Amino acid sequence: MKTWKLLFALMMLTFVAACSNDQPVEFSDSFETAVETAEGTTVNMYMWGGDEGINDYIDDYVAPRVNEEYGVELNRVAMDTAEFIRQLSLDQKADRQVGTIDVVWINGDNFRNAKQAGLLRGGLMERVPNATLLNETAQQTDAGTPTDNLELAWGNVQFILHYDAERIQNPPTTFEELRRWTEDNPGRFTYPEVNDFTGNAFVRHLLYERYGAQLTDDPTIDEAFWDDLKAWSPHLWKEGQTYPKTLEQLDQLYASGEVWMTMGFNERRAEAEVTKGIFPKETRALLLDHSIASTHFLAIPFNAPNPDGALVLIQELLSPDAQLVKQGPDYWGDGTSLDLTKLDEADRQAFKELGDGVTYPDTEQLRERSIPDYGPDVIDAVREEWPRVAK
Amino acid sequence: MLRSNVALTIIVSLLPLASLIFLGMEALGTDWGALFTDETWRDSLFITLYVVGISTFLSLVIGTWLARVVVQKRWRFTSAILRIPMFVPHIAAAYLFWLLFSGGGIGWVEANERNYMTVILTYIWKETPFVFLMMLGTYEQLNRGYVEMAKTLQLSRFDQFKHAEFPFLIKPLLDSTWILIAFVSFAYEIPALLGVTYPKLLGVLAYERLSTGLYLEATEPYAVALIWTCLVGMGVLVSYILTSSIRRRIERGVRR
Repeated sequence: MKTWKLLFALMMLTFVAACSNDQPVEFSDSFETAVETAEGTTVNMYMWGGDEGINDYIDDYVAPRVNEEYGVELNRVAMDTAEFIRQLSLDQKADRQVGTIDVVWINGDNFRNAKQAGLLRGGLMERVPNATLLNETAQQTDAGTPTDNLELAWGNVQFILHYDAERIQNPPTTFEELRRWTEDNPGRFTYPEVNDFTGNAFVRHLLYERYGAQLTDDPTIDEAFWDDLKAWSPHLWKEGQTYPKTLEQLDQLYASGEVWMTMGFNERRAEAEVTKGIFPKETRALLLDHSIASTHFLAIPFNAPNPDGALVLIQELLSPDAQLVKQGPDYWGDGTSLDLTKLDEADRQAFKELGDGVTYPDTEQLRERSIPDYGPDVIDAVREEWPRVAK
Repeated sequence: MLRSNVALTIIVSLLPLASLIFLGMEALGTDWGALFTDETWRDSLFITLYVVGISTFLSLVIGTWLARVVVQKRWRFTSAILRIPMFVPHIAAAYLFWLLFSGGGIGWVEANERNYMTVILTYIWKETPFVFLMMLGTYEQLNRGYVEMAKTLQLSRFDQFKHAEFPFLIKPLLDSTWILIAFVSFAYEIPALLGVTYPKLLGVLAYERLSTGLYLEATEPYAVALIWTCLVGMGVLVSYILTSSIRRRIERGVRR
């Protein structure tokens, strides 16, 4: 009888624990108090974990620094963005006011979804002192969605292709030429399927080639566009029978020499890969007609258990020092989200001295060909309609 | 102790029921007509049936045959070797086969091809040891008397197997079959790495629909999981009912 009772009590306990809804943990009134309360706590940062350089930047550079400066333990959790947004939305449905996630790395359609569902905390600009240094244009909108102070810009990048110059002597210079190039070199090019962030962006570049900016107002895509894309697919890797599921898979194909081009957001992404000997030695940037500029952001969920710790971490991530190392070639190569004119002379100079890597595109050209991203509606439309290309 | 055993039994058997209720609740609001006519789901179902069918059938045949040979010939070493794949995680197995068969492959067996051969091969490699272990116990306990009798009666080799061995294998075979079907049909790692963009296996498609923004509010994956769970559940029920009389007879026979 005793065991039976114990078991019953245990079950009830789990039940009660699962249903409890505590009050949410609020921010401290000022950043100074936040620093005090944050000391000795742990901050859980949830972020996409598919890139070694990015992971190392957080683990080897940022984590020791926040620990030293603020006594805050940083715990990086690798998870696909859509997945933790989903987890937050489940938390919300269950009225779980004290969750597990303190800081998220987010942008684009995921931000749109999180914003619509009310999953993020507002008022970040006033709470993080370094936010005043941010580039105001970058901070304003996230792929067409106004940020409304729900997230702070962390980095600023542009879309770029990379190719192996040892195998390709005369690289294409436009998307049209890329098409012809694949006809002469069948199977040597492909892009990730469109559920992948990068794959979707590649298709949006093709859309921009045909429609220009007009698609922003009216996201209807002609049948003919998809028919053309379908007609192109036999020239791609595996004759278009399948596409890499993720950018990592495409990078792997590129690293092994099976395909001769890869792509991605961040014009500096290949530098570290080449230095480490993962990408071919002769990897060079390939800038075509236009390149989508994209900003990525940091946000704090509605049920963050340690919001003050989150503020401290974001303050550190937006500091000129941390941004400088982030943009440098050692870890990540991610463009800064700060407005260089707002920095003091020494910091500004340090950014200028970072210089160019061999795999970087021409900075001037890159800026000239930069285009703003379409809104999330186009991302959705591509997701919905592209599958017929892969059939 | 008996009471807590009963309690544990109740909890364990309530879990599947709870999961069914959960699936049913999440599946509320699904447009069932649209679901059944959706080409993506339909193609996914067909390719899943194909992969599950072939890999389960071959794993059963090979695993049983291996158990039989190992017991008959007393191959201790082989028996130990055969267990190794059991300890390799599915994701590692998928990566191993991806390394082996990507970039050219061997003949028509190549990673990321629409015939899903590498997926089937990986499952066979992973699941055969499981079947082997399930059948090993049965073969070790098998009463050799029946086989001797069948030999004395000068039955053909096939008839020897059919009358003196197969009836004893029915139960472990059924158990293994349904475990494999339930597992393979909704697994993720292996088809995610070795599969193709279209058609995807059910597990991969369901996960994709659940985790991409466009379908954040989707109920379809739950509906599909619900239907599939019910189908497998019915299959289990029917197959056990159909074989119940013969299984009972065998169990009594063995115990005598």
